[in-house]
Amino acid sequence: MFKKLIDNSAAKSPWLFHINAGSCNGCDIELVAVLTPRYDAERLGFKLAGTPRHADIVVVSGPITAQSKDRVVRTIEQVPDPKVVVTLGSCPRSCNVFKGSYSVVGPLDKYVDIDVSIAGCAPKPEAIIDGLALATQILKEKRGAKE
Amino acid sequence: MEILIKAVYILIFPGLLFATVFGLWLAGIDRKLLARMQKRVGPPVLQPTYDFFKLLGKETIIPANAAKVTFLAAPYVGLISLVVTALFIPIGGLQAFGGMADTVVILYLMAIPSLAIIFGGSASGSPFAGVGVSRSMVSIMSYELPLILVLLAVGRAAAYGGYTTFSLEQITVIQQLTGPFLLDWRLIPAAVAMLLVIPCEVGAHPFDVGEAETEICEGPLVEYSGAPLAVFKLSHCIKMFIMTALFTALFLGGVTTGMLWLDVIIALVFCTIVTVVSMTLTHAVMARFRVEQLFKFFWTVVSGLALVSLILVWYV
Amino acid sequence: MTYDVYMHFPVLAIMALFVGAFLVTLSGKREVLRNIIAGAAVLIALTLLALLIKPVMVDGEIITYWMGNWEPVNGYAIGIALEVDALSLFFGLLVAIAVACSCFYSFQYIRQDDARGGYFTLYLMLAGGVMGIVLSGDLFNIYVMLEVMTFAAVGLTAFRTWNPNAREAAFKYLVVGSIGSSCVLLGTALVYAQCHTLNLAQISALIPGRMNPTMVLAFALLFTGFGCKSFMFPFHPIAADAHGAAPSSVSVLISGVFTKTGVYGIIRVSYFLFRSMGLTSMQTGLVFIGCVSMFVCVTMALNQHDFKRLLAFHSISQIGYILTSLGLCTALGIAGGLYHAINHTLFKGLLFLTAGAVLYATGTTYLEKLGGLARKMPQTAALFLIGAFSISGIPPFNGFYSKWMIYQATFEKASETGSIGYALVTVVCVVTSVLTLASFIKVGQSVFFGQMPLEYENVKETPLSMRIPMWIMAALCVFTGVAPNIMINYVIGPATGAVLNFPGYIDAAMGEGYAAATITDTGYLAEPRLLTIGAWNPVNWLLLFVVVLAAVFLVSILGKRDRGEVNCAPDSKHAVFFGGEESQYSHVASGDLFWGFKHNLRGYLGFMSKAHSGVTNDYVLWGVTALAVIILYCFAFM
Repeated sequence: MFKKLIDNSAAKSPWLFHINAGSCNGCDIELVAVLTPRYDAERLGFKLAGTPRHADIVVVSGPITAQSKDRVVRTIEQVPDPKVVVTLGSCPRSCNVFKGSYSVVGPLDKYVDIDVSIAGCAPKPEAIIDGLALATQILKEKRGAKE
Repeated sequence: MEILIKAVYILIFPGLLFATVFGLWLAGIDRKLLARMQKRVGPPVLQPTYDFFKLLGKETIIPANAAKVTFLAAPYVGLISLVVTALFIPIGGLQAFGGMADTVVILYLMAIPSLAIIFGGSASGSPFAGVGVSRSMVSIMSYELPLILVLLAVGRAAAYGGYTTFSLEQITVIQQLTGPFLLDWRLIPAAVAMLLVIPCEVGAHPFDVGEAETEICEGPLVEYSGAPLAVFKLSHCIKMFIMTALFTALFLGGVTTGMLWLDVIIALVFCTIVTVVSMTLTHAVMARFRVEQLFKFFWTVVSGLALVSLILVWYV
Repeated sequence: MTYDVYMHFPVLAIMALFVGAFLVTLSGKREVLRNIIAGAAVLIALTLLALLIKPVMVDGEIITYWMGNWEPVNGYAIGIALEVDALSLFFGLLVAIAVACSCFYSFQYIRQDDARGGYFTLYLMLAGGVMGIVLSGDLFNIYVMLEVMTFAAVGLTAFRTWNPNAREAAFKYLVVGSIGSSCVLLGTALVYAQCHTLNLAQISALIPGRMNPTMVLAFALLFTGFGCKSFMFPFHPIAADAHGAAPSSVSVLISGVFTKTGVYGIIRVSYFLFRSMGLTSMQTGLVFIGCVSMFVCVTMALNQHDFKRLLAFHSISQIGYILTSLGLCTALGIAGGLYHAINHTLFKGLLFLTAGAVLYATGTTYLEKLGGLARKMPQTAALFLIGAFSISGIPPFNGFYSKWMIYQATFEKASETGSIGYALVTVVCVVTSVLTLASFIKVGQSVFFGQMPLEYENVKETPLSMRIPMWIMAALCVFTGVAPNIMINYVIGPATGAVLNFPGYIDAAMGEGYAAATITDTGYLAEPRLLTIGAWNPVNWLLLFVVVLAAVFLVSILGKRDRGEVNCAPDSKHAVFFGGEESQYSHVASGDLFWGFKHNLRGYLGFMSKAHSGVTNDYVLWGVTALAVIILYCFAFM
């Protein structure tokens, strides 16, 4: 009965949950910049959720330290389906300059499937919005794929 | 025929469908105007609707050590009792089910949805929810004192033949004779207090200590996902509608043009304006209160305003 | 007067309980026999009183029964009378229901204890004593029954002798309770000296003509004495100890029934005997005491860490509501107070029984040790929620209706007298109600919800024989909440009328025309009329709720295919979110809750905790001070 409404809404209200997996905070403040009046991601329906249970998109930044690995994997697992995992910046994909450190066990794709990667150190807000917009399309596809 | 009209009342006009649509509209207006006040473009007005339907399509996760029945039933009980409460409030002279509940009953009926959130969160077994439960309860304790003072002040102002009243019908009728209570200088402090009570009752920023997403992961809602969360978000929107409609009935009632449909539309416009003034403005200009500041603020400043009004109404 | 068989019912009801008490002792160690005797005794009492509903409540008859047929001679009532009007029957029924439910509950409940034979003897003595008080028409008889009741209650409080708290509580109870008893005895003696009779009806006919300082003193003593039995402020701390230490099935009696005899006594003394409630000063005094009891006890309850102690403080808080409402001296106020009295017996009985179920299953009622029991004891949790919603006044449960009547009565009184003070009483009532809700959310979160300690993994639901009495009480809670019209027409209305109808009471005992001959001012109150200033219709609310529920259900069925799935499994995905950490035991329980509130009121709450020192001497001092203040107040304003 509401199939169409639900399918259409799936892409229009992406709620983000942000996980910092040992990031230098550079990407994190760029993500916050996306929500400021200048870029205003809320016009696309983006909202920061307080808990993984409410999230549609999980944004991971940082090179996945040994300490954070289990927590990141567990938190991503706790997000209800359909969900999209987005990596923010170069670190989660390649461990960036931290590669080879005794405390870094990345990249993230060793542990979970990644849907969208936003490159850059740190990425520009425009790039982030672009990546997130792509993520919303994947979200909609995943919702459709379930039928 | 009688039953058909009642059914329309319950399911369509002030009831289920309309409360849902109008509540979502108020929430959308709130978010849009908030964004405009912050020089943002803001989400479309339909954004809360999208959120609601998206959540319906999501998976519902029940935490492994939750009390399942309470966890799942709580949102629905809260929503339904809200819809029923919406039927009791006169909207621009239209009383779907008049003479069934007075102001004090509505005060108590409005506690049921808050309780639903509290017990639902409590049943999830999360410690974040535990802290949220504690904070939500403190915010209920905070606003009940000023709210009852406001209701008593209005009840006294609407006294007829020496008899004070709790009856919403009588309050409406008296306002038709004397003009809206908002124009009565003695009741202005009470109206201001009520405007501050509305966001606290609804659980809107800056009084949303119980559901603070940055501090305690949305408190009682931390474990909710999917349809139950959608229902809670919808309840939040309907609460906005009910509280603003209550304000309209208490302070802006009795504006009549002679045509019922026009009266209703005027009342709905009033509801929207009250939402903007009481919720959007406070959200835009204030940061979130700490829980003990909230309690202090409501038991001193807001209650003081309401008490001043009560004393003025009583003796002047 | 026509002779009817039901004339004998009141005395038989009392006798059934007392005879049962002695027969139970004879049954020795045969448990089944003992249970049958005790069960039969309480059921007989309940049935006999239920049969009286028709003549007394509906037809408005007042039953006078002269023990040994010692009828009044030459206008002097020498014999002992049982006099049952609607008010007596109202309290009698309330007692019988609570006693019956609690008795059946305790068959299983006290299995864990030793000395079980003595338990039922004392239990039935307590029940018989209470029944004797409310059905009696003789002041000295009331005193005797009061003593029987008090000593049985003391014995039951100390029933768990292995528990040092229980022995201490019993001692405090004995000492402070004896202040109350002495006051009642002295008051009775003074009244006898002045009126030369002990019959309630005759005293009530004679007193108004001879109000002198002695009678004022007698009034103050009787009032304080019954006040002590109702545990009103400042006698409340012993109630907390006694209710907390006694077995739960006894707490039901002490809280739901024992305190009601105090309320009953206050009604009889101030509305019937001395008819002082017409005085503004007495109204103000009683309302003040009620408000203070209400507020002080609810804030004390918020501070408690023990389920039963918390409930005990709430009892007194609810008694505060009843006293406040009775102090208004309007028909609506009296009706609201009586309604709240029956509701209090039901929901507080239910809550004490659930506390007992928790104790039975886990061995503790300490809030910080419990948690998450709703998963193991779903029915007990549901029962607890019904009780908690009732006491916190959540519509459509019963507590709401009576509280709502009380709010209206106080606000109406405010507009009648033009005094803003009564409007503030309404505010105190509402705030107390919210704080009550808060403390029950604390219990819900600490005991039934939240996380469960591992040691309770094997906890089981309570046995059926304990659940049935609880469900009966819960059903009554719902019934009295959704059918207030039936209650008001058949129970509350007649009882309210009886409070105001003292000439009828006098005539029934002393013969037709006696009241008219001795009393000049027939009634300071006109016909009782229940004028409400608001509207609340629980049946329609329920109907609307069901219709909307059906609509929501239908919509949810229609959209079922497109909704997300509902999943639950014991894996890490479905574990509670801990900020990414592995899920672990972390329960937010009683002491951690309501910080914002406690922080702001820390001065007041700290003072209150310090004042409730637990020292018997202090409590006696409070009691004696209260007595002195009440006496001075009566002399100054009566």
